[in-house]
Amino acid sequence: MHNTLIALLSFSALLLIQSCQQASQEENPVDSDLYEKIQTQLINAQTGDVIEIPAGTYHLDRSLSLEGVSNVTIRGAGMDATILSFKNQKAGAEGLRITADSVTIEQLTIMDTKGDGIKAQDCKGITFRKVNTSWSDGAKASNGGYGLYPVSSEDVLIDSCMASYASDAGIYVGQCNNVIVRNSLAFENVAGIEIENCTNSKVYNNIARGNTGGILVFDLPELPAGNGSLCKVYDNVIEANNHKNFAPEGNIVGIVPPGTGLILLAAKGVEIYNNKILNHKTMGIAIASYHITEEKWNDENYDPYTYDVYIHNNSFERERAVPDLTKDFGKLINYLFPGKPQDIIYDGILDDTREGSNPMNLCIQESSDGLRFANVDAANDFENVEKDLSKYDCTIQ
Amino acid sequence: MSNRALKLIFLYTIFTLLFIQNCQRPSSVQTSTSVNFQPEAIPYQYLSEYSFFTTPLPQQQANASVIAYEPRTALFTDYAHKARFVWMPDSVQASVAADGSILFPNNTVLIKSFYYPIDFNKPEENRRMIETRLLIKKARQWEAFTYLWNEEGTEAKLNLIGDIQEVSWNDKAGIAHTVDYIVPNKNQCKSCHNRNSELLPIGPKAQHLNGAFTYQSTKTPNQLQHWQEAGILEAGNWQNQFAPTPIWNDPQTENLEARALAYLEVNCGHCHHPEGPAHTTGLYLGKDFIDDRTKLGQCKPPVAAGKGSGGRKYSIVPGQPDSSILYYRMLSDDPGVMMPEIGRAIAHEEGLALIREWILEMNGACN
Repeated sequence: MHNTLIALLSFSALLLIQSCQQASQEENPVDSDLYEKIQTQLINAQTGDVIEIPAGTYHLDRSLSLEGVSNVTIRGAGMDATILSFKNQKAGAEGLRITADSVTIEQLTIMDTKGDGIKAQDCKGITFRKVNTSWSDGAKASNGGYGLYPVSSEDVLIDSCMASYASDAGIYVGQCNNVIVRNSLAFENVAGIEIENCTNSKVYNNIARGNTGGILVFDLPELPAGNGSLCKVYDNVIEANNHKNFAPEGNIVGIVPPGTGLILLAAKGVEIYNNKILNHKTMGIAIASYHITEEKWNDENYDPYTYDVYIHNNSFERERAVPDLTKDFGKLINYLFPGKPQDIIYDGILDDTREGSNPMNLCIQESSDGLRFANVDAANDFENVEKDLSKYDCTIQ
Repeated sequence: MSNRALKLIFLYTIFTLLFIQNCQRPSSVQTSTSVNFQPEAIPYQYLSEYSFFTTPLPQQQANASVIAYEPRTALFTDYAHKARFVWMPDSVQASVAADGSILFPNNTVLIKSFYYPIDFNKPEENRRMIETRLLIKKARQWEAFTYLWNEEGTEAKLNLIGDIQEVSWNDKAGIAHTVDYIVPNKNQCKSCHNRNSELLPIGPKAQHLNGAFTYQSTKTPNQLQHWQEAGILEAGNWQNQFAPTPIWNDPQTENLEARALAYLEVNCGHCHHPEGPAHTTGLYLGKDFIDDRTKLGQCKPPVAAGKGSGGRKYSIVPGQPDSSILYYRMLSDDPGVMMPEIGRAIAHEEGLALIREWILEMNGACN
């Protein structure tokens, strides 16, 4: 009897505590003081200022923005210590928006923005160091599109960052020149790291794990930056990117089949080497022309082909798996190679204006045992699927 | 009485006098009849210090040298009413650029007050004043300053970091509305007022001003003419040179597409322009892009819309507004989806109806 009473009391006490916690979690009172303080500093910032955000979890209902002042550093007390939560965001399409030169953002976490985590546009010099962006409910289509989103910028450095659960790309670098993405971890996004219409990019020493597609190098039409080129992807671990594709339709990443390590789409001048490409249920590397999307474009300067590609010295591992059946490209792999994940898939679509025995200048030198390669001859309804790699045994300096 | 006590009384008196003076300062400026503009002292802490308006301030009765104006098609801001004015120093004039942009001299001030009549059927009565934005051209560069009104609507104070205010009104049909009105912070001004990363005015273009305007029962047959008569615009045949912008909700001014494009140009085209902040999207909105319908969004896939695509494949699918991203984002009130990104919290039903009709009547198919 006595014991039962104690048990009941403890139980009700627990319930009480739980409901209190829930209430305070739901209310998330807005930290207006911190918003006012930081945004005022951002508005009044002078060249060279360091704006420090102390340790703590802060709930903000509006975007923070820095505009037009160069050489400003926005610094938290650490990725785990300074957390800006936008769960109750009422206004602004991103958590933090930067339009300024030589800016550094470091040591903080941005959570639950309604749109993108951090957008940096038209910056000459933008560095993200030890910055984390995420969404607390995990992978959901209603999450913002991009975690770290530098666009139309030059001299972009993303170093030692983390990005997860973005409904498009965790780390998305679009229409930029001179880009480095290194030492970072992208997990359970639709795309882990995406380099789109960029010139001169290096992606190295990163881990892309558990996304739908690990690393994407894309060139899309109708963009003011025009065609991109020159991208090196090396020393990365690209592992088990088998996540369901939860991107809203319409976005280019919506076509990525779960179980994809790397995709080159209309990419030019790409070198991929020394990567560990592990356990993808559909394909390790896909080399494709934009024609494969069957989308039209109306941009006479657009070059839809992938060429000047050198893939070498990567290590591939596969587990037994059934390739994806949710997206067209996954279905295609299953149709051509039932139940057999592939290592390197090439659509074989050629630019008729190029000549020679290897017109697209595609070089592949891989030594993994039992490597599964196929040119699927997509231009001719997959009539002549070729598994022989010898044609592509060349180097590009 | 001791010396010490006298000293105390003296100090107290001085303090009180200072205090009174301090409190009265703004209202003492308010009674002056000409505009008070000292470039080195700009921005003032209080709106009244400029003496743009005679008292009482909320009526926005402009001083003689402050000229009210209105663009033919205006940006939607959560149904806020707007009163716009321009002031220039004596003996200088604005000129007109080849594209119709009005080129203002230094020390010009563009003034825009945002307010809500409690009852939209009585717009002159019982106004809730929210903010007054000033665009000031200092040494050839524009700067933006926002003044936030107090609750009594008697004074507005300089504000940098913006605000969120709950506002209620009854529309013309008597239906009650409430919105969290968002006052942008200083940095956000440039999210819209931006050409090649330079802060610039949006509204004052010859095309937008080429028409009549009635302000507080004074009718101006043509604003460009009026500006010239007032001596603030260089003489020229502007009325004929720059065809009037269609009035988006007046079918007598232009056909459906022209009105839709005028609406999009004014509401979206400041960003969605090759030199605007949304240049990265390749989506350019306004009549200047009519020759390339992909740029206008027709069958154009999104670039970086993220969840803003709403599962739709193209910005505009002819005949199908509900499959068009453009329409979806104008309809949305989710900050991560809606367009424009800032400047509204609710959708503009009447504007949406226009865009819907335009897309419905558009010919063609995607893929």
